[in-house]
Amino acid sequence: MEALVARTLSKTYQGTSGIVRALDSVEMTIAKGRLFSFLGRNGAGKTTFIKIASALLLPTAGSIQLFGIDVVEHAREIRERIAIVPQEGKPFYHLTPREHVEEYLRVRGATRETARSRADEVLEDMGLLPYQHIPAMVLSGGLQQRTLVAMVLATEAPFLFLDEPTLGMDPFARRQVWDVIRHAARKGSTVLLTTHYLDEAEQLSEELAVIEGGHVLYQGTPDALKSKVRQEIRLHFDTGFTREELAAYGEVFVERGGLTLLTTRNRAEELTRRSLERKVAINVGPVTLEEAFLTLVGRAIEEEDPEALA
Amino acid sequence: MTWRTQANAIWRICYFYGFLALRRQPLLFIAIFLTPLSFLFFLYVVAPHSVLPYGVTGGIMFTALFTGNGMMTDCAYLRLERQLQQVFVTSPLRPMSWILGMALGELAWTIPAIGLFLFVLAIVVPIGALAVVGLVGVVLLTWLLSTSLGFLLSTFFRQLREIWPIGAVVFTSLSVLPPVFYPIAAIPADYRWVAFFSPSTFASQLADHAAGLSVPTISVLPGLSSIPVEVAGMVVLTLLFAAMAMRLARWREP
Ligand SMILES: Nc1ncnc2c1ncn2[C@@H]1O[C@H](COP(=O)(O)OP(=O)(O)OP(=O)(O)O)[C@@H](O)[C@H]1O
Ligand SMILES: [Mg+2]
Repeated sequence: MEALVARTLSKTYQGTSGIVRALDSVEMTIAKGRLFSFLGRNGAGKTTFIKIASALLLPTAGSIQLFGIDVVEHAREIRERIAIVPQEGKPFYHLTPREHVEEYLRVRGATRETARSRADEVLEDMGLLPYQHIPAMVLSGGLQQRTLVAMVLATEAPFLFLDEPTLGMDPFARRQVWDVIRHAARKGSTVLLTTHYLDEAEQLSEELAVIEGGHVLYQGTPDALKSKVRQEIRLHFDTGFTREELAAYGEVFVERGGLTLLTTRNRAEELTRRSLERKVAINVGPVTLEEAFLTLVGRAIEEEDPEALA
Repeated sequence: MTWRTQANAIWRICYFYGFLALRRQPLLFIAIFLTPLSFLFFLYVVAPHSVLPYGVTGGIMFTALFTGNGMMTDCAYLRLERQLQQVFVTSPLRPMSWILGMALGELAWTIPAIGLFLFVLAIVVPIGALAVVGLVGVVLLTWLLSTSLGFLLSTFFRQLREIWPIGAVVFTSLSVLPPVFYPIAAIPADYRWVAFFSPSTFASQLADHAAGLSVPTISVLPGLSSIPVEVAGMVVLTLLFAAMAMRLARWREP
């Protein structure tokens, strides 16, 4: 069964400077138990989609169902099956991480024993045990974020929405959170998360969607996205080549004070020879998800507005 | 969730939002005493001592009324700044249970202050157990009315900056201008009916009745100052505010 099905889902906001088309006829299907990521630039429409799917916002047009239940018509049934980490949410000032987890679970109907044992588990898994009795107001920002994510993941709700769950976390903490998210998916929850860390999306997601300007540009596996951009090798030049020269070989970005080129294997070999002739240093590697993302979204922006990236 | 689990959820919210906060941030609840005690002190210094009991019931009513201010700022803050309302409504918890839990949490905060004022009242006028029961009843009615209004107002805010000035205007004018701290007899008889545009007048008249203080009837509309009318007025306003709040609440944004 599908966990989420959206059909021609649209949302327009009445902004101060005219109407904003945040989602434009979005078609989306997410299989049950899938670990799914949304990628997209700021303002692409990710949060808008999550709010609509979690019954926090009404769509302007189209339909959306979770587990076959209409979200617009049956918000109450939907709410029984979901939990959400809102973008830039913050915990209560005066409660400790353990209280957040236990009280939230009990408010959702868990018994004291269940709440306690799940709190034991999630606090340990998220590295919060040393801080479990410290009020959130004196915890660092990343620990507060971990507290919020812990209380939501502990629900084991059938559908978990995580809007930038690892924002502000250190690399160790992020890896711990990834493990807990994977664990939730293994236990049967469907997870929809957004992130601007492309390495995170690459590590974590079984499937992803790229959204730009309210449109879905891509839905599929991270690997398929990389092959979709048809460039598999990444070359980085500090000096020695001009942007115009490289543009003939593939997609070029200005990066780290030099130029990064995404290209095919054959062309990469040719360029490697030429750089040896010119005696310039190059750095070669496989294309990352981040680069595939930049390419895909970059092309979409260029089609829409060729000036935008110049 | 059954009604029993909803009731338990309401109690949990009251416990962790009201009682735990009371225990951990005691400085904050001293702030609750401060304003009504200052008014009382002011009355004690400048007014004849016969007015003092009205000031003490006024302190009780002021505290009960300000649960609405707390409700308004807390609900708006948790929704707009912490996004926690969203975390709680995207759950099996009913929106109504969230409101009730928060409102009970606000009430929990006022318990020490109201206890203190009741103690002071017992010192300045002879009151029996019945008066205390009556006053507690009035406090509960006022709390329901005021937190309904507070939640209603919280639904209008679109950003945090708007909260504080509006709270100050609304709840100060509800509790300082109408006859809450002073007897309604201080208003010229022909104009007393004006005071009944404020729900807090019903509340404080009831409190004065309950404490056994003398309450003049209103010459223009004699029925206004009688207990059944006051109770009915408060219940109707409470239901009105609560109904509007439920309609306007942003469980789901348009
Ligand atoms: N309440 C609102 N009123 C008007 N416009 C809005 C509102 N909320 C969002 N928007 C607009 O809708 C578009 C999509 O916003 P959304 O928050 O969904 O983006 P996002 O992909 O989550 O971005 P980010 O990565 O920055 O979180 C943006 O253009 C935004 O300005
Ligand atoms: Mg967002």
